[in-house]
Amino acid sequence: MLSILLALAAAPALQNDGPLAIRAKAVWTGGGKVLENAVVVVDNGRIQAVGVDVAIPDGAELVEHDGVLTAGLIALHGATGAVGETRDGTRPALPEGRVGLAVDLRHLDFVALREAGITCILVTPDAAGITGGTTAVVKTAGGTVLRDPAHLSLVFSNEGLSGNTPPTSTSGALALLQNLFAEPRGIVAEARAGKLPCLFEVREREDVRRAIAFAKDKKLNGALHGAALAGEVAGDIKAAGLSVIVPALAIGTPKRTLDAVIRLQKEEIPLGFGLDTPWNHAEALRLSAVMCVRAGLDRQAAWEALTAGAARIAGIEARVGRIERGLDADLVMWSGDPLDVGSVARRVLIGGRSVAAQEEVR
Amino acid sequence: MHFNVGWLALSFCTGPAGSEAGATPPARETILVRADHVIVRPGLVLEGAQVLVRGGRIVAVGTGLEAPEGARVVQGAWVCAGLIDPWSALGLASDALAETNATPATRSVDGFDPYNMDHLRREALRAGVTSARVQIGLGARIGGLGTVVRLVPGLPREETIISDASNLWMTAGLTQTGPAQFVESGEGFTMVEGGRVQDPFERADAADRIVSALQAGKNYLIAKNEHRHELEDWAKKMAEKDAELDKEFKKSKKDREKAQKDAEEKDKKFEEKKYKEDKKPQPPRFDEDNEVLSNAIDGRLPLLVGAERSAEIRAVLAGTAPHGRLRLVLAGGSESVNHARELVERRIPVLVCPTPLGRNRPDEFEAHDLSLAGRLSREGVQVLLGSGGRDPAATRDLPLLVGLAIAHGLSRDDALEAVTIGAARALDVADRLGTVEAGKDADLIVLDGPPLESTSHVLFTISSGRVVVTPEG
Repeated sequence: MLSILLALAAAPALQNDGPLAIRAKAVWTGGGKVLENAVVVVDNGRIQAVGVDVAIPDGAELVEHDGVLTAGLIALHGATGAVGETRDGTRPALPEGRVGLAVDLRHLDFVALREAGITCILVTPDAAGITGGTTAVVKTAGGTVLRDPAHLSLVFSNEGLSGNTPPTSTSGALALLQNLFAEPRGIVAEARAGKLPCLFEVREREDVRRAIAFAKDKKLNGALHGAALAGEVAGDIKAAGLSVIVPALAIGTPKRTLDAVIRLQKEEIPLGFGLDTPWNHAEALRLSAVMCVRAGLDRQAAWEALTAGAARIAGIEARVGRIERGLDADLVMWSGDPLDVGSVARRVLIGGRSVAAQEEVR
Repeated sequence: MHFNVGWLALSFCTGPAGSEAGATPPARETILVRADHVIVRPGLVLEGAQVLVRGGRIVAVGTGLEAPEGARVVQGAWVCAGLIDPWSALGLASDALAETNATPATRSVDGFDPYNMDHLRREALRAGVTSARVQIGLGARIGGLGTVVRLVPGLPREETIISDASNLWMTAGLTQTGPAQFVESGEGFTMVEGGRVQDPFERADAADRIVSALQAGKNYLIAKNEHRHELEDWAKKMAEKDAELDKEFKKSKKDREKAQKDAEEKDKKFEEKKYKEDKKPQPPRFDEDNEVLSNAIDGRLPLLVGAERSAEIRAVLAGTAPHGRLRLVLAGGSESVNHARELVERRIPVLVCPTPLGRNRPDEFEAHDLSLAGRLSREGVQVLLGSGGRDPAATRDLPLLVGLAIAHGLSRDDALEAVTIGAARALDVADRLGTVEAGKDADLIVLDGPPLESTSHVLFTISSGRVVVTPEG
């Protein structure tokens, strides 16, 4: 049995204009629900119907898929299309910085993301100084900005410190953060009022503790990103009502780190996975979740963290993350179980349009 | 050139190192393994079959085998040979791994520490990886002899070391020359690789070292062979002379006595007849490095050469072409697809590490392209897959790396071959490892699903006839 995959520039079989129906061997609609031999009807870029006995509309193109159909994956931390724009080490704080305005939505780096089944990414500013501004959620094709600003980025890790530009110490950075929120204006005021969630950049467990204290003091909500061992202080995170974005996990990630992710899930803390593109390969997103599953993370929880759970952290759950009537038709046709890294995204649709395809050749 | 050893610190921050050192492994047992599918070797699957293990060996494979009295019965859905990581760092002391002063005769087995990193070994065994080739001397152009070891902690040495000279290692590629950065993350450090620098002169020098080392080995081999022939000739000549002397012994004795008598009569001094003493040929001066190199030249020892870029690969291929018996394996091979035809013609396998790295890293290559294995395989090149030989923790994730190669175009059979019998053949241990066949060592894994699917779980790992992993732990 020799199965060969060839990347094709476009999917010839999918007409993007009229209605489309995909009949898949299994449809993972979200929340652990699996429909066997079900049909998903797509029109005008939205999901129109999902079910086992859904009528296929007249004139709709029917695609048979001998695999799993799921919602597109959502990567929660990256710099695709905005690599050069995320570095501003000259100012300690740039709360008005908006990655959403800087990101090149047609950057070629998005191709690798959608080929890996990733249909949305949270683009984040560089974690320099105390804030690099706000994050934005973009689709990986079609030039759609789903949410901008999505979070105010606040840096609590010492990676934000530089040797010659303030802040140069942890206490200095905390003092600047206090100043920023003392008389909040603009975007900071929105965060202070609880209208905009924050993205807390952390690395050590100590950073997590500081971020939690700050969030509690200023009544901020949002997600922590970057602390591999955040799960070891899961109780504190849960009490603070924050979510966690697990940084992309590399091959050989220590078991202690994987166990920490499992603890987050056991505390029912909302989870998502970061990717840090383009420094990580797009496949590192699914790989991170698979590694956690192999270490004992609940399969269902891992899949939620890649889709609907990530959508909630990014504030886009009303648009994407599940296969449900009315949501965007961001769909992935997997060759097999997507939690097997040996499975591949055969076809990827964003807003009902085919944006990546790999044909199997025998 | 300097080699930055810093990243090796990683291995010592990954958990409670050697926490269970000295623990004795489970005893060897007579075991009957029952499974719905037994993968004898990639492409040959027996349905509803059994494997009988006794005395550390596989003694029978087939259907209808019954458990002998007292045998342990182990059951699962799939059985295949234990996975082999042909490019691992698991169990090597960090200084040995980074050694820059290695020579061809430097032995990795001497740098192998069977009492270290037990927790990482157990994780690897739980993932189904039962043995690995480890290699010291990554910092040297010529890194010495690799060794194939079992990963079970606490085994007797003769069971641990499967081969103490599985290959000779050289590199024509880049070595880490730029400063590596350390980023503290959680419990340990993350190494951000330093820049890799190599100018054309360095590259020429690297290729030249390989070529001249091989030539030195060849000269030594020639000298040794010449000496062997000379010795044979000499022995033959001596034997002829002995025979002649034997035959003419009586006559000679008479002649001698007569000559002696004549001399006495004539009152002359008797002079003994002298034979021309045949000089015994001297062997070439023993040189351990040249011994190793000559074994490689003679095809008795596989030669692994690390090379990434086309220019380096071309130099290696050209430099090794004159040595017809050499068994070359290319390691890394980022741009080896450009040389696929020659690799196929010369039957040179490529050992690939499909690491999911992204762009913009201070790394010269586009991400150890995940599709490399698949593209090579489609061109007809034999592919091996390994975890890269740097991070000891990566061996646990070999099945995931293989999965990535499968997702990016390698067939499942070729993938399984790459980490079982293919690796065993390339490292000259195929008589003991790599398939589930009678006569081989009992190193096999029992799973609840097909091997190499990340959704499958290893239920039992059997190594050297010992059940070292069970569903309970």
